[in-house]
Amino acid sequence: MKQVVTVRRRALEASETRAESLRQRFAEAGTLVLNLISSPGSGKTTLLEATVRRLASDHPCAVIEGDVATERDADRLRALGVPAHQILTGGACHLDARQVGAALDQARLLPADILFIENVGNLICPTTYDLGEDFKVALLSVTEGDDKPFKYPAIFARAAVTVLTKIDLLPHLPFDVPAVEEQLRSLNPEGIILQTSAITGEGIDAWCGLLTERLTTKRKRV
Amino acid sequence: MGIALDIYRICRETVRAHDGGRLQSVRVAIGELAAVEPELLAFAWEAALAGEEDAGAELRIDWCPALQQCASCGEVKERAPGSWLRLCPDCGQPLQVSGGDELDVLEVTFAQEEPSSEEDPPLAAEEAR
Repeated sequence: MKQVVTVRRRALEASETRAESLRQRFAEAGTLVLNLISSPGSGKTTLLEATVRRLASDHPCAVIEGDVATERDADRLRALGVPAHQILTGGACHLDARQVGAALDQARLLPADILFIENVGNLICPTTYDLGEDFKVALLSVTEGDDKPFKYPAIFARAAVTVLTKIDLLPHLPFDVPAVEEQLRSLNPEGIILQTSAITGEGIDAWCGLLTERLTTKRKRV
Repeated sequence: MGIALDIYRICRETVRAHDGGRLQSVRVAIGELAAVEPELLAFAWEAALAGEEDAGAELRIDWCPALQQCASCGEVKERAPGSWLRLCPDCGQPLQVSGGDELDVLEVTFAQEEPSSEEDPPLAAEEAR
């Protein structure tokens, strides 16, 4: 006998439930949490180094690093005195809420004002997995080309903030900033677009200002 | 692969909640902005079921495109699959994106074996002839 049952359940409901309990945990800790997503080599760790140099004296920061292999990224942040935990995915292309929960249990990362979760370098799969963050940040380095938002629409449609990195290289590249901004606005009209260079320090103030503003807003709400 | 396993877990839970049986097919909705490639999901689905009691069950995918709607004229604008409009082709105003984030299990189809007492007699009768 054949039976057809209507289900209507989120395919990733188990993962989304875990993410919700993480979100609750972060709310209780009063911690602003960012999920940083970009391709490999776009400058996530370098932006984080510049950010914690600027912020960590006023706002305790912590970092969770996701990589396929090596402790290198966590070591770079630890060298700046920031508590950092490296998740090694062993081949998996994204972090999930279970891994983030385990990292919080294993390492002393909270309390912190801001927790940065640096996802595995990949513009696709990390988009799908909620980590309990307040918002996603997409990074796009100007060396990657100005056609990327429309090529990888899912992440750029969902990231509350897109950071164009390595803008000190703009004079050397045929990278059309207005064209990128137009694509981003089309996919994500409410999204914030920032431009930074971790080398010259350009835009780092605006980026850090946004983070402290969001932290204040979150703590008022809690 | 993780997504395929999650879908399969939901299928199994559904079948079990309805007194068991063998999974025949599942219908899922995948949105254009879900960052899930249907062909890869279909491949992962086969791999996830290999060696399981439901091996060979079909994965049916409803593809759900995102909509680009003009903020000014309110119309949903046509576009070629996989391409995006920068501005409304009619009034030049910015567009809003909606939908396309579906990643849902919609419908599970499974078969329950008929009680053996009903199935056996015709066979036995056939053999006796």
